[in-house]
Amino acid sequence: MKILVIEDEKELAIDIVKYLSLEDYRCETANDFATAKEKVSLYQYDCILLDLMLPGGDGFDILAHLRSQNKQDGVIIISAKDTLEDKIKGLNIGADDYLAKPFHHSELAARIHSVIRRKQFDPSNLIIQNEIKIDLLSKTVHIEGNPIVLTKKEYDLLLFFIGNKNRVLSKSDLAEHLSGDVADMFDSHDFVYAHVKNLKKKLNEQGYAGYLKTIYGTGYKWEI
Amino acid sequence: MTKLLDKPLKAFTIYALIILLVSIPIYFLVVDWIWVTEIDDNHEIIMERIENRFEQAHVTGHDLETILNTWNTLQPSSSILPITENIARRDSIYEVTKFNEYEAEWDRFRGLQAVIRIDNTPYLLNIETNVEEAYETIFAIGLVTVVLYGLLVFGFIQLNRKISKSVWKPFDSTLTKLKSFELSTSKVVTFEHTDIEEFEAMNETISKLIAENVNTYNLQRAFVSNAAHELQTPIALLKSKLDILFQDEKLGTKQSELVNAIQVPLARLTRVNKNLLLLARIDNSNFSDISEIDFAEKVEKSEELLQDYIAEKNLSIKKNERGLCVFQCSKFLAETLVNNLLSNAIRHTAENGKIIIDWDEKGFSFKNSGKEPLNQESLFKRFSISTTETTNSGLGLAIVKEICKQNGWEINYDFLDHFHIFSVRFSKF
Repeated sequence: MKILVIEDEKELAIDIVKYLSLEDYRCETANDFATAKEKVSLYQYDCILLDLMLPGGDGFDILAHLRSQNKQDGVIIISAKDTLEDKIKGLNIGADDYLAKPFHHSELAARIHSVIRRKQFDPSNLIIQNEIKIDLLSKTVHIEGNPIVLTKKEYDLLLFFIGNKNRVLSKSDLAEHLSGDVADMFDSHDFVYAHVKNLKKKLNEQGYAGYLKTIYGTGYKWEI
Repeated sequence: MTKLLDKPLKAFTIYALIILLVSIPIYFLVVDWIWVTEIDDNHEIIMERIENRFEQAHVTGHDLETILNTWNTLQPSSSILPITENIARRDSIYEVTKFNEYEAEWDRFRGLQAVIRIDNTPYLLNIETNVEEAYETIFAIGLVTVVLYGLLVFGFIQLNRKISKSVWKPFDSTLTKLKSFELSTSKVVTFEHTDIEEFEAMNETISKLIAENVNTYNLQRAFVSNAAHELQTPIALLKSKLDILFQDEKLGTKQSELVNAIQVPLARLTRVNKNLLLLARIDNSNFSDISEIDFAEKVEKSEELLQDYIAEKNLSIKKNERGLCVFQCSKFLAETLVNNLLSNAIRHTAENGKIIIDWDEKGFSFKNSGKEPLNQESLFKRFSISTTETTNSGLGLAIVKEICKQNGWEINYDFLDHFHIFSVRFSKF
């Protein structure tokens, strides 16, 4: 799967590429407006990560240009501008998601995962991973055909883990994903333990706790 | 505290009192002296007249004796008595206090004793005039003085009032304007023109001072905002690098723990920076998403968002709807306000504590159980430390205050029955 990272901060672009390359994404980068515009015109990507403030132009113009060409590439705006106005404007022009900087790469990976999934026009809206089958429309999870009942938070966590498979996720990654902006008002995120523990327990009841590994003193990992 | 004009008034009054008190004996002495001198002069004149008239009348012998007898019987204030030739007497002036039979009181008399010659025989002439008593004079002068003093003080007070009303008017107007002046509102203050040099100079100086302060404040605001903007990229990079480092398979447990430990202050840095940017945005008041906000709905949403943190501390939340609380506000700001107040309450409540949220048409309040009142003074200031807790970015309540100010609401803190109470009122009643 192809991803274009449009980001003028080269170091950040390199990191994003590094993180995403752990999964089977092929990444390209564009550090300025002209290069970015050229690339989106010439090629097709599964997902484009778009910074708004670029040397040589405004990221919104690239998005508008893309949509005017009737291209349906998934677009996630990654910007330091996090005002509601910017978000609404971005989504109105045709972005699929908006992620404010600074962000955890795990959050970005989960969002990319979600955007690509939606863009693939899978009519069944199913995520199937070995024995686990997740129905995104009805928000139900089956393991080997047996339904398991998850709370909203546990369901969110499961999707987040699958979107970041084989990656180590820290407690703060998980807390920020679950609580969003309010997470940074608190230092203690111990509630994450409880949710993960419950999720693990429910998976264990079906005999599949092995995917979700606890890494001592560090965090968690969804291993396949 | 005394008023500026009352100070000279007091001094003037005391000074006037001293002068008038001193004036009483002086007046008395002067009046008495004039009086006595005048009487003495008069006695001299009377004496000369008597002498002359007897001389001109040429009365002698028996006639003279009869006249003198009659004189001494009928004239109450003077007597002419024969004396022996040999006794050489000089004129003398004396003062005597005698009982006045007619007025039944003791009176002061001024007298002249002189030797006159009638028909070449020496006679002792004695003239006496009733002089006003010293105490009577002093009493009269004192009375007049007291009345005058009263008039003087009354006049001082009246004049003082008049002066303070007219002359100090520009000063009062300047003071009123300064009292309502707030640096952060960046409203320009213009003072009334006055024809009093000192006030005009003061107004000019204050205007200059305000202009400089506003300028400094704006510069500082711009600086904070710029600094926060500039910090965004390094913070984003830092976070990104840590994430990448975290995925390194060669990372041992110890190193991972370190990376996790770095995440905590980094999260705090992120939060502070984000809040500074938000404050700058509120200051610049660029929010266009004004809509009708239902407080109950926002509380519901915020509670759901913070549910995990509430559950973690096993807090109980009680909501009292006393009336429909609907207001016009930026949606984003309203959510920020509610989130900040609720998360503030959650952070500062001990485990198993209570949070009570009340609202009605006029406003809302968040109460949370606590032990001691917080410092009211510094509570809403930026970076003020009210507790030893490190979670606080020191900006949450500053943001709450800014949002309230932006909307013209009033926010107050109170501590009652072991509850911290933060209440927001929509308008001042």
